[in-house]
Amino acid sequence: MSNPTTNPLRVGLRQERVISPQCLVIFGASGDLTHRKLIPALFQLFKQRRLPSEFAVIGCARRKWDDNEFRQKMENALSKDSKEDQNLLKDFLKLLFYQSVDLQDPEGVINLATRLEELDRIKATHSNKTFYLSISPSFYGPACNALREAGLLSDIKRSRLVIEKPFGRDYSSAQILNQLVQSCCQESQVFRIDHYLGKETVQNILVMRFANAIFEPIWNRNYISSIQITAAETVGVEERAGYYESSGALRDMVQNHLTQMLAITTMEPPGHFDPEAIRNEKAKVLQAARLADEIKPWNCCIRGQYSKGGTQNQPLLGYQEEPGVNPDSTTETYVATKLFIDNWRWQGVPFYLRTGKRLAKRLSEVVLTFREAPVHLFDAAGGSPTSNQLILRIQPNEGADFRFEVKSPGSGMRSRPVEMEFSYEESFGEPSDEGYVRLLADAMLGDPTLFTRSDEVEAAWRLYTPILELIEDSPWQLPLYPYESRTWGPAEADALLAKDELLWRRP
Amino acid sequence: MSPQLTLQTPLQLPPAEIPLYLEQLWSQSQLGNTGANTFCLLIWQPALIEQELIRTGKLAGPIIGNQRKELIEAARHTVLENDLPHCTHPLDKTVLSSLSSSKGIHNSEDLRGQYVDVAISALNPRRLITFAPTISNSHPLETLVAAYCPLNEEGNKNSACGDVVVLRGDQKSLLKGFGILTKLLPKELPSWLWWNSNLDDAPESLNHLAIKERRLIIDTALGQPINCLELLITRIHSGQAVNDLNWLRLRSWRETLAMVFDPPHRRQALQNVIRLDIDFEGDHPVQALLLAAWISNRLNWNLEASNKKEGNTIQAKFKRPDGVFVEVILIPLPVGNPSIHPGQIVGMRLICKSNKSSHKPMCVILASESGECMRLEAGGMASMELLEEVVPNQQNSVEMDVARLLSSSRGTTSPLLAASAPIAAKILDCEMPS
Repeated sequence: MSNPTTNPLRVGLRQERVISPQCLVIFGASGDLTHRKLIPALFQLFKQRRLPSEFAVIGCARRKWDDNEFRQKMENALSKDSKEDQNLLKDFLKLLFYQSVDLQDPEGVINLATRLEELDRIKATHSNKTFYLSISPSFYGPACNALREAGLLSDIKRSRLVIEKPFGRDYSSAQILNQLVQSCCQESQVFRIDHYLGKETVQNILVMRFANAIFEPIWNRNYISSIQITAAETVGVEERAGYYESSGALRDMVQNHLTQMLAITTMEPPGHFDPEAIRNEKAKVLQAARLADEIKPWNCCIRGQYSKGGTQNQPLLGYQEEPGVNPDSTTETYVATKLFIDNWRWQGVPFYLRTGKRLAKRLSEVVLTFREAPVHLFDAAGGSPTSNQLILRIQPNEGADFRFEVKSPGSGMRSRPVEMEFSYEESFGEPSDEGYVRLLADAMLGDPTLFTRSDEVEAAWRLYTPILELIEDSPWQLPLYPYESRTWGPAEADALLAKDELLWRRP
Repeated sequence: MSPQLTLQTPLQLPPAEIPLYLEQLWSQSQLGNTGANTFCLLIWQPALIEQELIRTGKLAGPIIGNQRKELIEAARHTVLENDLPHCTHPLDKTVLSSLSSSKGIHNSEDLRGQYVDVAISALNPRRLITFAPTISNSHPLETLVAAYCPLNEEGNKNSACGDVVVLRGDQKSLLKGFGILTKLLPKELPSWLWWNSNLDDAPESLNHLAIKERRLIIDTALGQPINCLELLITRIHSGQAVNDLNWLRLRSWRETLAMVFDPPHRRQALQNVIRLDIDFEGDHPVQALLLAAWISNRLNWNLEASNKKEGNTIQAKFKRPDGVFVEVILIPLPVGNPSIHPGQIVGMRLICKSNKSSHKPMCVILASESGECMRLEAGGMASMELLEEVVPNQQNSVEMDVARLLSSSRGTTSPLLAASAPIAAKILDCEMPS
């Protein structure tokens, strides 16, 4: 109570859905994601009393750890941020178990099945199981097959499979992977994670659009002139060079996170708030999306790679100088692209997507620019009136701004723009949960609303196929423009919008 | 959405044969289905007012036990017809007494336990066991059983089948039927007891059915306030998982008040509360007491004194952590068209004032959609920062409330209720369990 940074009346008020008794099996338990994201997210759920008492986590990896060793490692990872929760932490660690499993060794998976049966008896988990594949994508197939062969996915209602991104490398590999996964279990059992969908602010786009009567009537080509979606990072490739070299910004960010934001921003209203109804609408809009120029993708796509930058005191390495990166690497760290959506709502409205590493600011946002007033009655203080803009800030400083013209004070009748701001921080004052907290809970609840369905994934890959093919077959047609670290990307990306007499928003 | 009937005509069987019949029904060889793997719900469903309204010809049968609109209308009509005060709650004991003394011999089919509210059936209960006491004192025990598959209106394929068991008879014969329960409740599934009745009723049956291992659903808006709170805290104290529908209905008040203080710049004011007024409907103060108790618990106030004043007004004095006293006043208001749930809160006012701070005093007024808050707005508000919010009415049927509870409960007592109930009881000067 002495600390007014928390609202004492808010404690315990959130009405969360109840996760049923179950065992969560994490493959890749010795990996980075497990101790950085998954176990902290589970601990968060535990602290929020959202995990049932009949619950267990089995970490699986090839390393020959035992339960205690696994618990010790996870305790080390958690202790950094939870000094005040030592008793809770001890209780939480009791839920963790470890089983050494080599997915290519059938015996290992059979041992896992035996361990699961044993824990099911001890913990009364009602045979409910969620398998989380936090492993290299090349092991998705073997993992699914091994689980199927051990009969661990056979109960449609009691077993689920969570798959991390990337789901495929392109359209055809995504199709093959989907077929493989669907040969091992039903689509209803599969939860493909895109952690952007776990963000409160991304989900808020749905609520803003469909819980307010004022937005939806103007959320279309008649009132909106263009939409920009940006996910900018200030960091470089860091320790992910091995993965990033084979992926690049298009596969790492655009095909999944940015495209999911695009789908949520542009989908039709679903008939009701039902996972399939929402996913149907998302899939439909992605199927209607296309590159602005599919025949000559270089007209609508700019690739860039960060070069040196920073200050004299804090110089920053260029991408090719980063540890683990090929000095001649042609992997893009920046992509800007222009899309259209061929449906009644969005015909003719350009969508500009951009993402990059080592950009000037860390931010993700969706910017809707509205058409200008048909007649300009007033002089604008700034020379010409600015278009209305709705800016949905995904991170940081989560919230929304609406920019509109008002009368500039004084005796004349001149207009000037102002901003009306909604801030999560100011209205709610407490940080939202990490995306993984929400998504892990949803997967264990069996709620697929925030997970991507096979047809969505395929539609997203198909959308970028012309670019991916060009990079593969004739990369010289899609050159890699260098840009200085901590700038807003290559000048060519500005030129992409300049052709349409537009500018990227510089927040 | 209308309630659903069981697909099968219930089969009347001797009590001893029911467990075996159900075992066979769900054996793999019969249906290839072992039934929903969810929970069992026991319902004590006397539906006394419904039975009396039907007997006296004021309501058309059959007896179904659900809180339907026609039942509430007929009960309200009885209040007017029998010259009871207009503020009488439609399901109040005085309505029952006046009906019991009225003549009537209308008979109707008793379908209690066979009509399942859609909100509850959507949760796929594994087994619904309904205890249906009759108003007749000489009704032998009847036991009925039927398999049950929820018909989902939205074509959801996730529904799973369950079964219903009905035990019907007078109170004495029902007590004999309790013996079959141990065989009817699968050990691996959680079981809930919903006491869909006044908490003063049938204490012997309540004690038999509400054993510690069962999760108990009660409504502290029904029954003598002192009895309700004593039962609530005794059960919580014993370690039983208790869920109170009256507390559940308080949620929108707690949520709205919390919402007012979500913006960080307002939070300091919570440390400077000097007065809390709560207006509630009729003369059942439990919900208001629970709200006052929750606020005091969250803000670490200590109860110093409490007393009941003229007109059933309850006054309490709390001490804040900084030693300043907080005055709490709970005022009963007679209303002409009372809610279907007794003692619902009509409005509340929280005044925050600090002598040390240069901030303007703050006055938060919350009023229910249907309530007037003029009384709360009176008295020197002009110099304060006034924040007013409207709280949605809680007019859900009890079946909807129970469904909400079943779908959201962790199966344990809410820690907030566990912390608030003893304070509420202390304000009312209840006997506390040692």
